[in-house]
Amino acid sequence: MTKYCIGKASEIQPGGKKIVEAGGRSIGIYNIKGNYYALRNLCPHQGAPLCAGVTSAFVNSSGPGDFSYECEGEIARCPWHQWEFDIKTGQMVVDPATRTMTYDVSVEKYDVSVDDEDYIYVHVP
Amino acid sequence: MESTAVVQNTKRESRKKLTIIDCDIHMPTIREAVIAYLPRHYREQIDTFGMRLPTQGAMYLNGAKGGIMQEQQFPMDGTPADLLAYFRKEHLDKYRVEHAILTGLGDYAIQTTPDADYAAALCTAYNNYMIDHYISGDPRVKGSIMIPKQDPLLAAKEIDRIGGHPGIVQVISSNGAEKPYGHRFYYPIYEACERHGLPFAVHVSMEGIGINHPPTGAGYVNHYIEYRMARTQIMMAHLASMIFEGVFQRFPTLKFVMIEAGILWIAPYIWRMDQDWKALRSQTPWVKEPPSEIVRKHVRFTSQPIEIPPDESLFLPLLKSMHGDTNLCFASDYPHWDFDHPFKSFPKLDDELKDRIFYQNAAELYGLPPRRSESEAENEAEGTTK
Repeated sequence: MTKYCIGKASEIQPGGKKIVEAGGRSIGIYNIKGNYYALRNLCPHQGAPLCAGVTSAFVNSSGPGDFSYECEGEIARCPWHQWEFDIKTGQMVVDPATRTMTYDVSVEKYDVSVDDEDYIYVHVP
Repeated sequence: MESTAVVQNTKRESRKKLTIIDCDIHMPTIREAVIAYLPRHYREQIDTFGMRLPTQGAMYLNGAKGGIMQEQQFPMDGTPADLLAYFRKEHLDKYRVEHAILTGLGDYAIQTTPDADYAAALCTAYNNYMIDHYISGDPRVKGSIMIPKQDPLLAAKEIDRIGGHPGIVQVISSNGAEKPYGHRFYYPIYEACERHGLPFAVHVSMEGIGINHPPTGAGYVNHYIEYRMARTQIMMAHLASMIFEGVFQRFPTLKFVMIEAGILWIAPYIWRMDQDWKALRSQTPWVKEPPSEIVRKHVRFTSQPIEIPPDESLFLPLLKSMHGDTNLCFASDYPHWDFDHPFKSFPKLDDELKDRIFYQNAAELYGLPPRRSESEAENEAEGTTK
């Protein structure tokens, strides 16, 4: 496992994301309500850059014509075929066996830092 | 032993790098550059009243914003040459596309206005723009003639006007229609197609929009997913209409191309037509061969959006049953959101079948030259993917 610093925590505000390169992979780093998550930027369907699509809620319903929004900001929608993935688990919403990689993320201060900034690290095997 | 392994490996590598033909491409256009091709009358009308076209988007949703892959960013504030350059980089070079078939510029909405004269003027403008800016701009780009299907005589005139251009390979119309395409109303279009040796293609779109009939015989559906499902039944109706109205008896060299309607459903549909023909042949005695045979000879299909059965072992038998080895042509639908990736959308195929679907079938259909040699293709692919 190698950890890669991908920038300052303040760069990715709640609801925001940043697509980075780490360990030879393209990875989307998301801030969901103050917590950071890392999702491989690769759709298991046809290889699209998954994280380049919109970030949305899970839309639920009690019946025809009713729409409710859950898990705000936790769904990555593929830019091509609009398949929905849970950012926290990498699993496809309607078919959890279809999944992309997720990685651990930590927020740390630089070892020998003079500033007091928090930095985001992604841990890639 | 070692040298044999190297040769085999090299052969496999070069096979992997074979070029393809992509049979469904939707290039955006720079509006002002298209309008410049219109007569003054319509330029002034558009300036005053807008485009005056029904739109599918006014009635149904799409799959994604703008209907395209969300990471695609065409330079819409640039020139037509800028759009072509973007297309080269993002598609032609990236996927080793040797020929890209543009399936009509503008919007099939043109074919839904009741004003056939205006539709004809728009078709001419978009067709001229396509030839001047895209076909002339890159030898890989081939075009389809947008026709005012509202008026088959005007449509035939447009086919005669540009049908001889070497970069023009087919005539195109929307799946949404006023009458099934086997109707003799359309004969002037098929006569013109035969005069120029051009296939007649129908592309899903505009079902129930403008002057077209509702998207199902039972009326309007509500949601976009229902709308997409409804398209198949309209295409089914066109196919049976073309066969049993006797279009291919009257126009023996005509080819009919079904674009973006799906593929595997065609297998049981053909079985059903053959079965009914055995019983009902005497009612349409001009149909002298089994419908499956007419389909094999005259009808071609494009692959996107490809259906993959949950049990993948069903794919090849169904593909075989719809004459996929000779009649199916790969299409990506670039840059639309439901794009099929040229190398990742199909289950594994043997080399020969892959070659047929990704090149030879389309080359025969559109009269395109054989693929450049594998070594040339390999050199080019390496040169352009840097």
